[in-house]
Amino acid sequence: MSKPARFVTTTVEVEGRTEQRVVEMPAFDLEPWGADAALTHVGARALRVDAALKATGRPGYTTDIRRPHQAYAAIVRSRIARGKVTRINVEAARAIPGVLDILLVDDVPARTRLFNAEITYHGQPLAAVCAENQAIADRAARLITVEFEKGRHAVTVAQATAANAQPVRPGLSNNLLFKEPRTTERGDVIAGFAAADVTITREVRTPCALHSALEPHAAVAEWDGDRLTVWESTQGIFRVRDNLAKALDVPLTNVRVICEAMGGGFGAKNYAAAHTYIAALFARRLERPVACYVDRAGEQVDTGNRPSSVQRIRIGAMKDGTLTAIEMVGEIQLGIGGWEGGPGEIYHELYACPNVRTHETFAFVNTAAMAAFRAPGHAEGAVGLEAAMNALAKELGLDPLELRRRNTATHDQKKSRPYTGNRLAECYDVGAERFGWRDWHRIRRRSKDAHTAPDPRVVPGKPHLRRGVGVAAQIWSTGGGPPSYATVRINTDGSADVLAGSQDLGTGTRTILAQVAAEALGHRLDQVRAIIGDTGATPYAGNSWGSMTVASLTPAVRMAAVDARRALVEAASGLLGAPSDQLEVFEGRVAVRGSERGMSFGEITAKLGNVMIQGHGSRGPNPQDAGIVTTGAQFAEVEVDTATGVVRVVRIVAVHDAGRIVNPTLAESQLEGGIIQGLGFALFEERVLDTRMGLPLNVGLHDYKIPTMADIPSIDGHFLDGADTKANHVGARGIAEPAIVPTAPAIAGAVADALGVDVLELPMTPWRVLAALAR
Amino acid sequence: MQITLNGRPVAADPEGHATLLDLLRDELALTGTKRVCDRGSCGACTVLLDGVSVYSCLTLAQGCDGHDVRTIEGLGSAAEPHPLQQAFALEDAAQCGFCTPGQLMAAAALLAANDDPSDDEIVAAMSGNLCRCGTYPKILRAVRRAAAMLRETGA
Repeated sequence: MSKPARFVTTTVEVEGRTEQRVVEMPAFDLEPWGADAALTHVGARALRVDAALKATGRPGYTTDIRRPHQAYAAIVRSRIARGKVTRINVEAARAIPGVLDILLVDDVPARTRLFNAEITYHGQPLAAVCAENQAIADRAARLITVEFEKGRHAVTVAQATAANAQPVRPGLSNNLLFKEPRTTERGDVIAGFAAADVTITREVRTPCALHSALEPHAAVAEWDGDRLTVWESTQGIFRVRDNLAKALDVPLTNVRVICEAMGGGFGAKNYAAAHTYIAALFARRLERPVACYVDRAGEQVDTGNRPSSVQRIRIGAMKDGTLTAIEMVGEIQLGIGGWEGGPGEIYHELYACPNVRTHETFAFVNTAAMAAFRAPGHAEGAVGLEAAMNALAKELGLDPLELRRRNTATHDQKKSRPYTGNRLAECYDVGAERFGWRDWHRIRRRSKDAHTAPDPRVVPGKPHLRRGVGVAAQIWSTGGGPPSYATVRINTDGSADVLAGSQDLGTGTRTILAQVAAEALGHRLDQVRAIIGDTGATPYAGNSWGSMTVASLTPAVRMAAVDARRALVEAASGLLGAPSDQLEVFEGRVAVRGSERGMSFGEITAKLGNVMIQGHGSRGPNPQDAGIVTTGAQFAEVEVDTATGVVRVVRIVAVHDAGRIVNPTLAESQLEGGIIQGLGFALFEERVLDTRMGLPLNVGLHDYKIPTMADIPSIDGHFLDGADTKANHVGARGIAEPAIVPTAPAIAGAVADALGVDVLELPMTPWRVLAALAR
Repeated sequence: MQITLNGRPVAADPEGHATLLDLLRDELALTGTKRVCDRGSCGACTVLLDGVSVYSCLTLAQGCDGHDVRTIEGLGSAAEPHPLQQAFALEDAAQCGFCTPGQLMAAAALLAANDDPSDDEIVAAMSGNLCRCGTYPKILRAVRRAAAMLRETGA
């Protein structure tokens, strides 16, 4: 028999995109942890391992790094949306005491793509200055004046696709991604609508939303000869390392990227960017460490966004609610760069329907580039799809939940394959129960029929207030995948390290990895530490994006821990004078089964001296014949003031199926966080553009509104018990992005229920609510 | 000028335009206090000035001459944490943790004045502190819990 191939090519999904990758097959297979596996640490509400550090303000964020003789950089940005730089005046800046250096386009390697005489959006970096401290650098940056010839900008899809539109950047033949709209179709939509008893149309608009992580993008760079170390606030230390090495033309081995702690990313921190290259270049020229932080205005303007969308939806169904056709024609305003993370995908996935067509126009415009933002595309698409579903339910006289239940997708319709697990139907049931959905609707029916019970939409004594409820569902690919590696090593005192090239965005990666390693090693959790966030110390792991980290990494960590445990047991076998197969391991002790004899890990490793007990783990491929998704449903109750138009969310119930939950507390924290960001998307968040000038107007946290504690409803976040043993041998899938998808549509559904009219543009600000009421 | 910083006298010579936040982070290297918006929109730079919570980014450093300033570094220590710090850890009230020092200082000011706040009072006191991870439900629970701990110990 021939040995199975060690390296094979497989398909992985990242943020809705499919990629082909070579993977290394794990050296040995592990029996999956089933739903009923007896586990000690996995599934436990372990405290976040760095909770105490965070509560004392000492985690070590990039902006807190202070290297000896550290200098500071500031970025000069364009104040117009389109044009050409004719001259940059730096003399006044250079004359300020404390200014050390200035970088212009001619000073930077082309591959950094830093600066450009061609101005293509407001906020584009044009130059940078470095000084002894931040205050001097900022002052100098303000004194650098840019002379330019103004060009004609296009900041809306209409402007960018007009017949006489100029290319928004050089090299484009037109302003569309793929040069033309993207159409995706299955079945026959025309036949589907012909067969429908009822057809509904809706036009829904979603805003451009900004990630607004509180820690800005930041880098601190330091050269030691030809070796570069960069501290970076990033979701992908290895990707930043690769970006830097390529742009600066240095070997990968000479670049080390460190991210000990980071203050949020949400999709905006996946690559090295202007600030990274500016820090590295100044540091090389000045031969001293240089920090470059993006200031708040820069953060809100030029670090990514969720692009705005217009979705024109048509949906056809039989009288019993069975969907016969779904069509969505969309316009997505990408920014100067971007990719096809559009609203279309979810229309093909969430509900069972044989005939689906999406036609999306992705337009480049003269605003800063979009970036993945928590469930890119799906969060926007769900708003349109669910608005249409609610309208359909109303037209058919069906409970909106019942309509959804009747159209539950039983398999992956895009690829004609089953799911490894999809318990959305159960999420509907459990969620409806926890929310009291049926009671709400039973009372309503009674009040309508016989006027015997009060209408729950009315608030007694407050005629201007109306209450309503809404439901929305969610689907998102969360299988993670290879390559991901981990090393587990047992130190000479018996404590253990798990090393992985991941990073902790605030999600709890550090804690989760320690829990899985402790479980598989048979150790105490407080004796296991995760070492992450350092390309110089860890094996490769991918970016923390696409809700991939837990599903990608924990199988590798488990394997590494099992590998280390096997070596430890072999060593203990000789010391205890018992065969390995009679030894058992639990909570840091190896014991001879059925006897008192045993040794702690520390006693064993003390005997071994500096002989390393070390395990290697890798992530094997996902099953090719099944889709891996997290699904869920959220229910919202709102109270709308019809006099002022203010919407208050009263409560949210969320139930999701994410396979095994490694730490319920951390999972709830992520779920609540996604819901609260979804609430902001529904009610407050919108980058406002002056389309005439091409300028973003609300570039601070005062004018760009994110939720505060006063906006928070009661949240009941719940996960179904279980383990997805077909997805991977840990049984876990991702949850970060699924959490945000149904929130805004559930709130919009509740507002429509309360008012009897739809508010078809997000965010549902008071003026939009009042305008809808006036229609 | 001289301030009492976390219980100790500290001499400093800030420029006229320097804020208390500039002084803390850039001169004194106390990086627990965070710079986020730098214009009083987010609360990440909250510290206690004579026991009252202030945005250090909107407080001129020279104006603090002779006053008492307390930052996250002086709220408690790893060995002797403030009840709020214990409660934040126990309730998972920090996700990325970047807003946490400001949240803690705002809560400390509240509990120093009122050790039995209602939820509405907590919300009112904490609404000037943004959290993008959406940790608010757990922060609310942590402040409640810390208040209960303070009442029990009478501290």
